[in-house]
Amino acid sequence: MTTVNLHLQQVKEQTGESMEEMWVNMGPQHPSTHGVLRLLIKLDGEVVRECIPYMGYMHRCHEKIGENRAYVQIIPYTDRLDYLASMYNNWAYCLACERLMGIQIPERAEYLRVLIGELQRIASHLIWLGTFGLDLGNFTLFMWCFREREMVLDLFEAVSGQRLNYSFMRIGGLALDVPEGWLGDVKAFLQWFKPRLPEYDRLSTDNIIWQKRIQGVGILKPEDAVSYACSGPVLRGSGIRWDLRKNDPYGIYDRFEFDIPVGTSGDVWDRFWVRRQEIDQSVRIVEQALKDIPPGPVLAPVAKKLRAPVGDIYSRVESPRGELGDYIIADGSEKPYRYKVRAPTFVNLSALPVMLPGYLVADAVAVLGSVDIVLCEVDR
Amino acid sequence: MTAEEILQQIRARFASEVRTSEVRRGEATLTVKADQNFEICRFIKEELGFEYLNCLSGVDWIGENEMEVAYAISSLRQPGKIILRARVPRDEPVLRSVVPLWGTADWHEREAFDLFGIRFENHPDLRRILLPEDWIGHPLRKDYQDERFVPYPWDDRKPGSVVRPTTA
Repeated sequence: MTTVNLHLQQVKEQTGESMEEMWVNMGPQHPSTHGVLRLLIKLDGEVVRECIPYMGYMHRCHEKIGENRAYVQIIPYTDRLDYLASMYNNWAYCLACERLMGIQIPERAEYLRVLIGELQRIASHLIWLGTFGLDLGNFTLFMWCFREREMVLDLFEAVSGQRLNYSFMRIGGLALDVPEGWLGDVKAFLQWFKPRLPEYDRLSTDNIIWQKRIQGVGILKPEDAVSYACSGPVLRGSGIRWDLRKNDPYGIYDRFEFDIPVGTSGDVWDRFWVRRQEIDQSVRIVEQALKDIPPGPVLAPVAKKLRAPVGDIYSRVESPRGELGDYIIADGSEKPYRYKVRAPTFVNLSALPVMLPGYLVADAVAVLGSVDIVLCEVDR
Repeated sequence: MTAEEILQQIRARFASEVRTSEVRRGEATLTVKADQNFEICRFIKEELGFEYLNCLSGVDWIGENEMEVAYAISSLRQPGKIILRARVPRDEPVLRSVVPLWGTADWHEREAFDLFGIRFENHPDLRRILLPEDWIGHPLRKDYQDERFVPYPWDDRKPGSVVRPTTA
């Protein structure tokens, strides 16, 4: 029982009065819902008793669109799912198709995918850290994180011409090789970026206000995390060492050395700390990939008009937000018969009604922020 | 436990329920009749130890006049993946909910209800989740029609193209 609950109980015992319960809407227009999400919250005084999320404001039936497009045509639509990690959406979808069609992709493309994927993870975690800081009133952190994220976006702009919706990966590899000197730019970015990480720590990790604000709040027990099929930093924050890059390796992740940070108690702090350490691990992976990257082609010779053999596949990757799965059923034509996206944030968000009750309404913002939702992916 | 052993155990226990079963890409894939779906899921979770429901997805097999619910089940403690597919008749798509086994099934089943019209018995709160509550029809069904699916509906000069109906 939290101290607040204890206090309320004492008030009830001493005065015989119960705080009046009321329903409050948080969102759809609320700066810390990171999009259009409506939370219906039952309050008892300042304590959250119940939370019912309502979503679908950005629903566009991505899956129906997919059923009416050829396999290659779906790639640009996957960008719009999790627009903060578009490269990873491309990768997840292309990997599912490659597994379904039995396509081997060239070595250089594998390395570039890992390299770009980890840079994307850094960018995605930076924007999470920044907006999470903004939710908690740490505005400087927001500006600093966006400064470095902008550099990653510059790198991606150099390879794909886009800043957010890259559509850079193809079934069978990548659309293009990276421009000359780009790998040197990545090295220069890492040189700039690595000394910045202790600066973030001074603003967040070592900051006593930050610690007091998020420690012991929004606890998600490991058994709940598994029952609600949470994944990514939310699952690892609850102390379960599970990362698809290690546990079900795809691409060439089995060749890289990195650790999986886990939390202990499953509170907001653990989820923050896991993501913060994952940035370090991504930097490690990028450095290894830069060292070993071979020359060669980046796109396997694939047909212009792709047809998948009859069958189905559930293929999953570890996106910055968790397990991003694609369930594709092929009927032998050039379009998928059924195309389902298992969005990590949709599933993680379903555990929010378990995390919130019992905490203050002021902490709801921190708990919601720690789940790291992207509403375009939740609503699909 | 290999995929073949998983299939053997399920077949031994639910011999009359399993329609087809095979190992594909190292994954145990099986199609079952829908009336025992909850018992089979419980067997997979509690006795085979696959405690993580990755994904639950509806499928509309309009050619066979059937609906399907595909469960992708795995475990955080052991390797292996199970794709369990339960078939129901298309005009009466009703299954038992697996929410008592996996909390995550709650929203997945609401999504399947919303987009496919598959109903789940014993679900605690079966409402639409992505579409508005007053939406008519279930868009991911193959026979769902909407005038906005037709490309360039405003072009009535092309023979065979559909004109968007104007509201009064």
